[in-house]
Amino acid sequence: MKIDPMRRLVLSLLVLSCAFVAGCAKNESGSPSSSSGSSAARTKLQGSGASFPAPLYLRWFKDYEKESSTVYVDYQAKGSGAGIQDLINETVDFAASDAAMTAEEIAKVKNGVVMLPMTAGKVVLAYNLPNGPAEVKLSREAYCKILMGEITKWNDPVIAACNSGATLPDVAITVVVRSDSSGTTHVFSTHLSAVNPQWKEKYGINKTINWPNVSHLVKAPKNDGVMALVKQTPGAIGYVEYGFALQTKQPVATLENQSGSYVKPTTQSGQASLASVTDVPEDLVVWIADPVGADCYPIVSYTWLLCYQKYSDPAKLKAVHNLVDYCVGEGQSISESIGYIPLPPSMIEKVRAATAKIQ
Amino acid sequence: MSMSPATQQEFDTQSLFYNRWKSRSLRNSLMNWVSGSIALIACLPLLSLLGMVIYRGSRALSWSSFVELPPAPMQEGGGFGNAMVGTITMVSIAALLAVPSGILTAIFLAFLGPDSKLAEAVRFVARVLSGLPSILAGVFAYAMVVLVMKSYSAFAGGVALAVLMLPIILLTAEQSMRMVQARLIEAAVGMGCTSAQVVRRVLLPTAFPGILTGVLLAVARAAGETAPLLFTALFSNYWLVQEGQLKLAEPTASLAVFIFNFSGSAFDNLVEMAWSGALILVLMILTLNLSAQLLAKKLQR
Repeated sequence: MKIDPMRRLVLSLLVLSCAFVAGCAKNESGSPSSSSGSSAARTKLQGSGASFPAPLYLRWFKDYEKESSTVYVDYQAKGSGAGIQDLINETVDFAASDAAMTAEEIAKVKNGVVMLPMTAGKVVLAYNLPNGPAEVKLSREAYCKILMGEITKWNDPVIAACNSGATLPDVAITVVVRSDSSGTTHVFSTHLSAVNPQWKEKYGINKTINWPNVSHLVKAPKNDGVMALVKQTPGAIGYVEYGFALQTKQPVATLENQSGSYVKPTTQSGQASLASVTDVPEDLVVWIADPVGADCYPIVSYTWLLCYQKYSDPAKLKAVHNLVDYCVGEGQSISESIGYIPLPPSMIEKVRAATAKIQ
Repeated sequence: MSMSPATQQEFDTQSLFYNRWKSRSLRNSLMNWVSGSIALIACLPLLSLLGMVIYRGSRALSWSSFVELPPAPMQEGGGFGNAMVGTITMVSIAALLAVPSGILTAIFLAFLGPDSKLAEAVRFVARVLSGLPSILAGVFAYAMVVLVMKSYSAFAGGVALAVLMLPIILLTAEQSMRMVQARLIEAAVGMGCTSAQVVRRVLLPTAFPGILTGVLLAVARAAGETAPLLFTALFSNYWLVQEGQLKLAEPTASLAVFIFNFSGSAFDNLVEMAWSGALILVLMILTLNLSAQLLAKKLQR
């Protein structure tokens, strides 16, 4: 008598689980036909990659979803390296990277790749300096030496030399860098290699850098992680996309550019840097390692959406086209408020032309 | 006769009484205090963690936390409703895979062939599996499911979690079946029951509370795992159900990955959300663990 209810429980659980499995199986077989078949079903695009443009992309994709009733887009900021890996493994519909892709990586993608600049950003040195001056200027020598671990104090003579009149506190520097494979690191190391031969020789250009082995250098994942660590650590300095510093209200250093003037990261100084490069190759991959011009902010880069050349699902193909159209069109108007640089009109034209390659 | 009082006087009976100032009693009470306070310190991590999570997590917690989608950076409000649904779904998938196979294996180990070579091997494998770092379960499911299906999915997450749940369920189920008194089984066999009847009518019902305890513990472990889900389910900013369809073959949100992603964020709102998510996850796991222990107590009685 006592046994009965338990048996019933076990039995009912079994029946339930069978029903569930059957339901799942049915659903699975049903989904591909519905995505291409009935017009009412919504198409989903899955993307992953760079964290550098993630705040902007997430805003775009949410706004786009509201506007388009048939498409929704999800994006996971995992870092550029991980996004490219996902694209190669075909586990996503598109990826994003601020290091574009190397020829070697492109060769691994069976369906081919189209790289489209979506926006541009400024890599800034955000810092956390209690009792520091209102503005910290860093000469090229200063920030290169900080990143190479050679300057360890905020009141080092090299930093003091470019901040005459300001009193710098006697605080130890903590350098915060990326722990993951990162497009932001790629952009930053491209710049450092262009301005400092010693950096070029020792560390070079890459998505991951063999950082100097010093105890005051710490690593954090993604732009978010670097920003959070800088915010929590007095004396810290780290490189992030400008938007992250803007939104978390963390001060950023004014940097010396090629012509020797000190420039704040603003939309104007960023646009000046973008304008300094005029010839754009056919694959739309342009590096602005060290822009020439008195108003140019020194570390600026485009960031790329990586799409396949061929999509077998016509619904997805259409969705990708519409999405890119939205981003380089309407989307550009909000980039500035989030801390990004709107694309120059000439580049928008080139991007629109390049989308024809996606078929 | 006259000798005895003299011997009594020579022997100091006072020394037989407890004297707290004697060195050996001092040492004794010192060690008691030390081990007592270290036992208290052992409780400290859990208590301080609970306190912190409740303190930080309850601030941003509201009804919208349960029914809304995760906010984008620089957005206010939002919630983690889809992550809760995702965690429950993936743990259910894992349980569907791991519970039947775990219990059937346990029946073999405890009843059908307890001393066979196969049973020995299975026990060994299960014990090794239970010590496996959880991230390897994720890598396994990534290779087996994600790369084959060409998409991160709730299925893949379920498979990874099932790998972690299986040894816990299997080993506790075997243990509780072994605790079923032999005379019950012998009586059943004596009455002419087949093996199937013995299992169904005697073994399973009697061991049921113990099996359920193991299942609950396994579910609690799986619900809190982050590492295996990073590779397999990824995350999603959308609901699992779209237009009335369960999208099990697509990237799926989970509470653990939600906390992992959002806690590292530079944006205050997202960090607050992560704390609230942590509070809910801790409460879920605590409830499961406590009910498992209550069941286990009931079993002992």
